[in-house]
Amino acid sequence: MKAVRPILLLALLGVLLFSGCQGPPIPQEVRQAELQELDLWRIGGPLYAPEGYQQYTSALRRAKDELIRESSRLSFLRDYGRVQADFKAVLQEGEGLRRRIEGEKSARAQDLQKQIAARRATIEQLRWLASIVNEGHLAGKALTKAEVLLAEASHLSGQGEVDAARERLKRLNDYLKSAQRTLAPIFARYTDHALLAKWQRMVAETVAESRRRGKMAIVVSKFDRLLYLYRAGNILKTYPVGIGRNGSSDKVRQGDSATPEGRYSIIKKRPDSTFHKALLINYPNEEDRAAFAAAKRRGQIPRSTGIGGLVEIHGGGKDGMTYGCVALDNDQMDELFDLVDVGTPVTIVGMTESKKELSSAVTGM
Amino acid sequence: MERRWGYLVLVFAVLFMLSGCSSPPQQELDAAVAAIKDAAAAGGEKYSPEDVKKLNDQIAAARDEMKAQEAKWFKSYDKSKEMLVKAKADADELKPKIAAKKEEAKKSAAAAEEAAKAAVDEAKTMLAKAPAGKESRADIEAMKADVKGLEDGLAEVATLVKGEDYLAAAAKAKAIGEKAAGVSDQVKQAMEKVAAAKKGKPKK
Repeated sequence: MKAVRPILLLALLGVLLFSGCQGPPIPQEVRQAELQELDLWRIGGPLYAPEGYQQYTSALRRAKDELIRESSRLSFLRDYGRVQADFKAVLQEGEGLRRRIEGEKSARAQDLQKQIAARRATIEQLRWLASIVNEGHLAGKALTKAEVLLAEASHLSGQGEVDAARERLKRLNDYLKSAQRTLAPIFARYTDHALLAKWQRMVAETVAESRRRGKMAIVVSKFDRLLYLYRAGNILKTYPVGIGRNGSSDKVRQGDSATPEGRYSIIKKRPDSTFHKALLINYPNEEDRAAFAAAKRRGQIPRSTGIGGLVEIHGGGKDGMTYGCVALDNDQMDELFDLVDVGTPVTIVGMTESKKELSSAVTGM
Repeated sequence: MERRWGYLVLVFAVLFMLSGCSSPPQQELDAAVAAIKDAAAAGGEKYSPEDVKKLNDQIAAARDEMKAQEAKWFKSYDKSKEMLVKAKADADELKPKIAAKKEEAKKSAAAAEEAAKAAVDEAKTMLAKAPAGKESRADIEAMKADVKGLEDGLAEVATLVKGEDYLAAAAKAKAIGEKAAGVSDQVKQAMEKVAAAKKGKPKK
């Protein structure tokens, strides 16, 4: 009997040792929290709510450490009650974090979309401004690069790659600034109040003359790309026109592809022009000659360069560009050709009235 | 009395065997960590970030299991060893998958680059065909400037491909291709306008 007792003791010890495998089950919240953490990572926790995510993972770590501590105890001493409570708290915190992440994600996506839309609007505005003066070739390269980056940003935004999309927008800004620097001087004259006053005075004089004489007069606004035909001081017709390649500038010399600004008149009607029909005007007038001579004296124009001439209002299409002439669609040229005579005044100006949208666009530049 | 001492020695011998014969699976841990690092270095974080995250979680879980065993009187590292062996096997399995994804991204980038080049070439060809008359010269010149911008973009795509940033390369190439197609369309429209204008012009 004495020999049996120690054997029983050993058996009991063995049962106690191996009973470690049969402890209480680990709470299901542990696995749920692990899955939740993966999910929170997947939806962008570290990116959209780094602080909250850090706090959450720290809480999860503490809960896991508690689980480890509890699991280390002998099976019959284990009690996962506290562990379960800890993991429940983690799960609750995770749900709050999920809402914060989704809210932040949505806010950032909206902000990104706004930024993309704003950049798109700026590009379109610069394209529009450049097209007004036929200067698309100057800013085109920079604007195209900006458009490519915008398309990339848009694509990345759709994939939830917020940081990468923002980086594209940041690089895009450099190209926009470059395009703005190129175009700003060209538009400076359209926002020059003194110049506008001069143009308005020229138009007023032309219209007054038309009224006084009861005759036709032509006014061309280069900015608006419109030709107004006046009869007895009232607008009879309005035609869209195309102007010179460097149309925004005032013509100074031969070959500058600028459309002259000033008060002229029709000196010849050409029914068989290369460009359908044409009305030749008396460029250069006295004022142009004086300006040309002054520019030459200042050394702004090479000695061998002439003042140019043969500036016409002709057909060929309003959508094109010219070397300085004013171009209409052929059917409208037919109409205008029949309505005017040699001697009809032609006043060409930069613009006839201040353009609020241009001023704000240029100010924005 | 002597027999009692004998039993005590026997009990301690059993306890010693059960608690001391098991050591942490350090070798397996090192191997698993190295395998995951390899997978990450092969591009895992870019091409399979979730899989890499899961592998790291597997390692963390194995470490937790090891910690739990370390605190016990009677240690058994079998489970953690098993977890680490699985993590290594998963990492080894992931590596060729990442390589395949990278290769796929490389092919996609190459295809997008080719398509973009073709689209830019097409736009250039269209621009060369466009009438040189003054009716459309400003538009054509503006579009030529656009194409120069696109050509610069193609050079950037080549740089990205060289740097193995295939996803960014593909995105840029796609954007260039779309823009180039837009330029070609604009040229077509400009040519149609010019043709229509010429049609309306009387013969001299």
